[in-house]
Amino acid sequence: MAMRPNNPDAMPPVATLSATGLSLGYGERTIVADLDVELPAGKVTIIVGANACGKSTVLRGLARLLKPGAGVVHLDGEDIHKVPTRTLARKLGILPQTPTAPDGISVADLVGRGRSPHQGWFRQWSTADDDAVAAALNVTGTAELAGRSIDELSGGQRQRVWIAMALAQETDVLLLDEPTTYLDLAHQVEVLDVVSELNARRGITVAIVLHDLNLAARYADHLIAMKDGAVVAQGAPEKVMTAELVQKVFGLESVVVADPVVGTPMVVPIGRRAALLAEAAAAKLQGLESVPEVEGVQA
Amino acid sequence: MSVQTAVKGHGKTASTVVGGAWVRDARKAPRRRRACLMGTMAALVFALLAVNILLGSYTVTIPDFFAMLGGKTIPGASFIVMENKLPQALLGMLAGASFGVAGAVFQTMLRNPLASPDIIGISYGASATAVAAVVLFGVRGAGVSVAAIIGALLVALVITALARRRGGTGLILIGIGAAAFMQAVVTFLMSRADVSNAQELMVWLTGSLNSANWERVGLLTIALVVLAPFVAVGSRELRGLSLGGDTAAGLGFNVPRARLLLTILGVLLAALPTAAAGPIAFVAFLSGPIAKRLNGGAASLPLSGLVGAAIVLAAHFVAVNAIPGTSLPVGVVTGALGAPFLLWLLIYTNRANQGG
Repeated sequence: MAMRPNNPDAMPPVATLSATGLSLGYGERTIVADLDVELPAGKVTIIVGANACGKSTVLRGLARLLKPGAGVVHLDGEDIHKVPTRTLARKLGILPQTPTAPDGISVADLVGRGRSPHQGWFRQWSTADDDAVAAALNVTGTAELAGRSIDELSGGQRQRVWIAMALAQETDVLLLDEPTTYLDLAHQVEVLDVVSELNARRGITVAIVLHDLNLAARYADHLIAMKDGAVVAQGAPEKVMTAELVQKVFGLESVVVADPVVGTPMVVPIGRRAALLAEAAAAKLQGLESVPEVEGVQA
Repeated sequence: MSVQTAVKGHGKTASTVVGGAWVRDARKAPRRRRACLMGTMAALVFALLAVNILLGSYTVTIPDFFAMLGGKTIPGASFIVMENKLPQALLGMLAGASFGVAGAVFQTMLRNPLASPDIIGISYGASATAVAAVVLFGVRGAGVSVAAIIGALLVALVITALARRRGGTGLILIGIGAAAFMQAVVTFLMSRADVSNAQELMVWLTGSLNSANWERVGLLTIALVVLAPFVAVGSRELRGLSLGGDTAAGLGFNVPRARLLLTILGVLLAALPTAAAGPIAFVAFLSGPIAKRLNGGAASLPLSGLVGAAIVLAAHFVAVNAIPGTSLPVGVVTGALGAPFLLWLLIYTNRANQGG
């Protein structure tokens, strides 16, 4: 098949991934029932929700890693379960949650495995593969690690290498399942920056399952909030991310303010300690001697 | 919106290094090292082959050996070399290589060094049906091989069916149970066997090259030549599966088909040499981890095969020459050397915090 030119700035045709009437589960247990969802083409969609709400399950269903009990997933109008898996892997990439590398494999080799769907018996490793791997290593800032063994890397470096592998696949749709797990804040931001730059430059359709609501609101073009296997709200983060939604989805009282840097919604949780602190402050104002002991707020 | 204001974490982008020629070089370095390693191992296997044929209780000179290969008959020497030493060494090399690849296939696919066919009951399954065929039905010759292959496939079928949705560790635990059961079956059958059968079976069960002949060497050679292209395909699929099921499926590997192919391949590679030389203890289990250690931690099927061949040939030389006048079964030596190595491996890999 014709290869996409290896200019990373070339804009591929935008791809749409959508599910209709999707039911997913493991064995007898149904986790997601009759779900309709569409990833807007060329945009970054972020899926949020409480633990075990089925967000990872949906992502796995969209990536044909789970066979649906009912319903279909369409990639540009084609049923993904009717396309040969290798053909699909040239258009749709997925990075599963906490992937594990084989022992003793080098960074260049692991990222190179992202090229597997582009190879076959009569199409061995080519300069196009070299270029794709080089571009993926460069864009994730892992080029200088190319010769190192994965075992020697830190968690943040390793996660960037996995993303590089997914990028080397050069797909029009990229699904990432909690790509920032186990990373410190600086690395979380870095990973999301890499993905969002890639989206801006190549126009690929991205879906990310994420835990951090504030990062989700900042990096998403389209936000999907899930609860108990169903979509509670979806749309632009400014519309979706409200205190009511946080209460509904997470059962958490919060105040939603504007992010001081970019103005996207920012969730400030209230929680029990905040009430305690407010009480202490009120007591102080009234000049009472018996200030409740709260560590770290005296004077 | 948010994208424009995002601060870049690092300056490296695709524009800093254009082209991927350096990637080719980075990928070549470990390959070149592995090629060197394989060359060295192949030379070692060849040297051990020569040692087994030429040295030992009956020493042959190299010119004499080639003269005999050319068809010349040297009284005394010809029979010992052509009907004994040469087929034994060749059978040992082929069986070792086959066991080595079989072990590495399972260990890499299930990502656990314990998942070798001699631990998860596949080799014992082959033994059990082979012994049953001999003791209960009086089968001889090639029929025993067929029985061994059927037994190995049956055990593989049962443990994969029982371990469905239980993951690699579940399969290994179920396999260990199956191995114990198969051993009980063998023990029971041995107690029913008549004395002459029992003696012969006992040697076979330990794993022995002493009854090697050209027929067995020929059959195993043909079988391995037929399987070789499948090993090449399997090796490619294994590169995907070693990333884990989800990642492999995302990269376009047909995971269920690849698992089926590799399981059948691993079972055949374990059962065929078992039929020809008995379940030579620990070879399948040891070859993969040793090959990995030599290869800087990365699994390699061809290297595992070479390590397996080297282990069996070295052990055979020791078995034949350790006690003058007696030829021990090779499995006694691999077992004696293998058990402490297993302990060392477990302790060492635990300390290094990586799978053997």
